[in-house]
Amino acid sequence: MSALNVRPTLRSVIGRGHMILALVAVSLASVSLTLLGVLALRVYAEHNLHLIARSINYTVEAAVVFNDSAAATEALSLIASTEEVARAEVFDANGKLLAQWVRPDTGMLSRVELELAHTLLEQPISQPILHQGRTVGSIHLSGHGASLLRFLLSGLAGILICTALSAWVALHLAQRLLRGITGPLQSLAAVAHAARSERDFDRRVPPAQIAELDSLGSDFNALLGEMEAWQSHLQSENETLAHQANHDSLTGLPNRAFFEGRLIRALRSAAKLNERVAVLFLDSDRFKDINDNFGHAAGDAVLVAVAERVRAQLREDDLVARLGGDEFAILLAPLHKLEDAQRIADKIIASMDQPISVPGNTQVLTSLSIGIAIYPDHGATPGTLLNAADAAMYQAKRLSLGGQQTAEPESPVVNVQHRS
Amino acid sequence: MKVAGSSTERSLSWRRMLLVAVLGILAPRVFAQAPSPADHRAQAVTQVVLGILSYARWPVEPAQLRLCIVGPTQYTDDLIKGTTQATGRPVLVQRLLADHPDIVNACNAVYIGKLSGDERSQLFASLIGHPVLSISEGGDQCTVGSLFCLRVGDEQVSFEVNLDSVARSGVRIHPSVLQLSRRRAPEP
Repeated sequence: MSALNVRPTLRSVIGRGHMILALVAVSLASVSLTLLGVLALRVYAEHNLHLIARSINYTVEAAVVFNDSAAATEALSLIASTEEVARAEVFDANGKLLAQWVRPDTGMLSRVELELAHTLLEQPISQPILHQGRTVGSIHLSGHGASLLRFLLSGLAGILICTALSAWVALHLAQRLLRGITGPLQSLAAVAHAARSERDFDRRVPPAQIAELDSLGSDFNALLGEMEAWQSHLQSENETLAHQANHDSLTGLPNRAFFEGRLIRALRSAAKLNERVAVLFLDSDRFKDINDNFGHAAGDAVLVAVAERVRAQLREDDLVARLGGDEFAILLAPLHKLEDAQRIADKIIASMDQPISVPGNTQVLTSLSIGIAIYPDHGATPGTLLNAADAAMYQAKRLSLGGQQTAEPESPVVNVQHRS
Repeated sequence: MKVAGSSTERSLSWRRMLLVAVLGILAPRVFAQAPSPADHRAQAVTQVVLGILSYARWPVEPAQLRLCIVGPTQYTDDLIKGTTQATGRPVLVQRLLADHPDIVNACNAVYIGKLSGDERSQLFASLIGHPVLSISEGGDQCTVGSLFCLRVGDEQVSFEVNLDSVARSGVRIHPSVLQLSRRRAPEP
């Protein structure tokens, strides 16, 4: 259970992969872009500072030559106040301060800008004031990093927005990919589960969009088809074998083992419901003669015909089986009264009056002797019932061929009926 | 002759530069302890005059800049020593009388001290049409004809420009100087 919990799902693996990829790509791109941008901006800022210094230079040159502090201050503030300058100073040739301009402190942000400019820029920059090729003074200038700060802040905002956007896109793509992968896999798993647990080989995996999954599904379908064919083949083979094991190949009737199994079940149910069951033992009277006189083919034809005629006299639920040779057995369950069994035996004996066509364009007549045993009157077990019926049949055969005899519980032979 | 003359001038200017350099090193210490107001003003006037000269362009640039001091002046003790411009052009300073006959050819620039009205008008009449830069020491006569008029104060030496005279003289003055003077004009 815990191992299942620890093992990551396909969804989480794909989602995490997409997410990591997107985040790494975005952060790499944005960090490198921001670094490059800061470097470029730094170059431009320094260049700009030099340009400002040069323009201040031109403006204050005459004022410095004439040592005019007021004019220098005015020119200085005129330029510096509109540019990104934090502090500007003009010195004369002796290093005396001639003019000075300092940007007024406007709170927290300007201090941050100053710090940024100090870290990023090489400042204060110093430029000599030349007049006719001679140095008449110098300018000291330090910038403030408003545009740098703006760039960094907007870069940061861009990184955040891009990261959020790409994370969203990555999740969306992962979900789409996942739908393409897990859908086919889930249907594959469902079909496999149905095939394994319910032996349901009819279901097939639907086609998938992804080529590998689609080929997997179609291979799986082909495998299922083969398994289905194999399964049905096995089933029919099993059925054939079971039929062969329980039935007589000549007449198509159930065999002795099948009959005994049914008899056991019938006795059990009859014991429970307090019902009666009749077992009839049938034997052909002249089968050996027919076999000897007309050949085995004729004997087989007689057996098939007897089986058909007996079968025709019975109810749907009654069972007739060939026990072996020319011996047949009938199970009548449930039985209401003994007379019913005797009536059926009469009908069967009567059905033998018609001649039977045998190979060689000849017809033969045969007759059956029938012994009847009733549960629970003549025996409680299959063996005793069959024995009782068998004995009654011999009794009938001894008395007259083509007759029937009901078994007697104590004394063997009484109540002989003769057919006229 | 010319070669010899120039070599002597060069050696002279060498010596002068050395002197200026020595003075430049010594002066702050010497004068710092006792800064005489007169010396200070004279030096400031020299600086302003040389500044004006450095921003001036003549139709034909002279090899030597000849500055003539005309009339009695107050602040030319320093200026009279002469100097060399940053471009290497020497500035020769000489005193002339106001009625000097060939003042137009002898001078590229005149520094005008206290003159009577007649002398002044005569001088300016002779200068008309010639590229001579004129600087008046006193600020009150600037409307008359002088290109520049100095206003000498304790703190600072400022100047005014007479644009009409500048335009008429043919000497071109750098606009930043004009701007400097115009800005200063409304000041008392």
